[in-house]
Amino acid sequence: MIRQDVFAHPVTIGIVAATVAVLAIAAAVIGTMTLRGRGTPELRRELWLRLGSWCLLLPLMMGPVLLGREWVIGAVTLLGLACLREFDRATGLFREPLVAALVVLGILAANFAALDHWYGFFVALWPLTVGVIVVGTIPRDRPAGYIQRTALGIFAYMLFGAGLAHLSYMANEPGFRPILLMLLTTVALSDVAAFTFGKLIGGPKLLPATSPNKSVSGALGALAVTTLLVAALSFFIFRGTPMAQPHWLLTFGVIVGIGAQAGDLMLSSIKRDIGIKDMGTILPGHGGVLDRFNSLLLVAPAAFHFIQFFVGFGMGQPTRLITGG
Amino acid sequence: MEWKLRPARDHGLPAEERLRSLSRERGLGSLLLGSAWRAALRGYLAAFHRLQVTGRDHLPPPPFVLIANHSSHLDALTLSAVLRGEAARRAHALAAGDTFFTSTLSSAFAAYAVNALPVWRKRTKSGELATLRERLVEDRLVYILFPEGTRARDGAMAPFQPGIGVLVAGTEVPVVPCFLEGCHAAWPPTRSWPRPGRLRLRIGAPLRFADLPATRAGWEEAARRCEAAVRALSPPVAAAGSPPPVGPSPR
Repeated sequence: MIRQDVFAHPVTIGIVAATVAVLAIAAAVIGTMTLRGRGTPELRRELWLRLGSWCLLLPLMMGPVLLGREWVIGAVTLLGLACLREFDRATGLFREPLVAALVVLGILAANFAALDHWYGFFVALWPLTVGVIVVGTIPRDRPAGYIQRTALGIFAYMLFGAGLAHLSYMANEPGFRPILLMLLTTVALSDVAAFTFGKLIGGPKLLPATSPNKSVSGALGALAVTTLLVAALSFFIFRGTPMAQPHWLLTFGVIVGIGAQAGDLMLSSIKRDIGIKDMGTILPGHGGVLDRFNSLLLVAPAAFHFIQFFVGFGMGQPTRLITGG
Repeated sequence: MEWKLRPARDHGLPAEERLRSLSRERGLGSLLLGSAWRAALRGYLAAFHRLQVTGRDHLPPPPFVLIANHSSHLDALTLSAVLRGEAARRAHALAAGDTFFTSTLSSAFAAYAVNALPVWRKRTKSGELATLRERLVEDRLVYILFPEGTRARDGAMAPFQPGIGVLVAGTEVPVVPCFLEGCHAAWPPTRSWPRPGRLRLRIGAPLRFADLPATRAGWEEAARRCEAAVRALSPPVAAAGSPPPVGPSPR
């Protein structure tokens, strides 16, 4: 497996530098607000809390990408398990420990397939794991609740195993760092842009019953910003490949932009259906891990298959590193 | 289409608060840790204490409450180790909050390995007992508790507190009386660590208190019946106040 230098690509340097700069500016702005007594104490406290969470989260998100392939796969595995834990406790799936255990095995298997660089197994796991979850609880001869527990198990596996593991598989590409950093930061930025445009422009609500705080202006603004940013960064990342044409780059940007907001709205729908505000409490100012990473869930497979169509991941790299063959 | 989506009772609680919450529900991690702990415990009890259990067939399917005389930390460990399957997965030991839930580390151990729920002696609120009673029935749990309230320093059984009655009076939940022999000799309250010594556990027939009202009189009557049932399982000498030498098991 070819390993590139950490900062071999200028986009990697640019994103890391921009992230550090944004955090520093944010700290300076909030610090000035605090010194001059601007805003309410509650707002300042909330801002410091959010900034603190970002200062912890960003190294946790970007650190594994900079450290290397195995770190990415390990981090995505842990992220998938953390998302599953929050999901199963919110939906009640945890009361079916056998189904939860099968989903855990599915998450581990999907990430193992990525670690092994075995694409055949990676894609085979979608139907195979679904089959195992579907059959898993039948021998217990307890049909009551079968559809609910099986559907929740498949839902969880598809999102946190099969879906997220696409990020792991991307790490088989020697030049994975700029791609992953672009996805992680633009998806996070999409949330911030939606919030900012919504506050600045206001206007009609997007889907008031699903997510009362989201507005149409916020959604369109975030889509525009994300599309342009992804297209611009992709221009540098995929230069010289069939993907590097304006219409494909913009299409890719739209896919990431829509995927990010769709993931957010999907989690809002889940929370509204259950009747809870946050999925967890682990990240002060954000809620749970899922509240922060919901936008990545749908972007990961969508971006993977778009890039795969034009460029591919890990092409020409050795495969089945662990299983051989 | 309506599904029964019921979040965990402890959803939304910060991690540390969750450890001490009476609403804590077990997830996969807790179940795996708990079963590993029980397996280790069974090995220890067999190797160092040659634990003998009689009357295991008296154990009903959950929910039920397992009660016994209390003179040692080995008591709760022994009772939790003998449960199997569904009953073991649903079992909570009701443990003294001021002993087992004082630090985060001890709370994490009590919560994840032993699956204990804290009871705060002398300052238990009626709402907390109501939560325990509600969860016992709705979540079909198994409680392991010692109605004496504390370990008997001399090994002789003390009168039962009416708290057991609050949990079960007026419900169909059975109470399974047990008598433990040898625990006080192996690990009395005066020692920091246990020493090897034979243990014997007698499990009696379940008692039911559906006929008793959920009033103080009902609770006290339930406690009286429970105490009598546990005393009836003790060998004659133990009932008189001093623990007997442990001999071979009748079964």
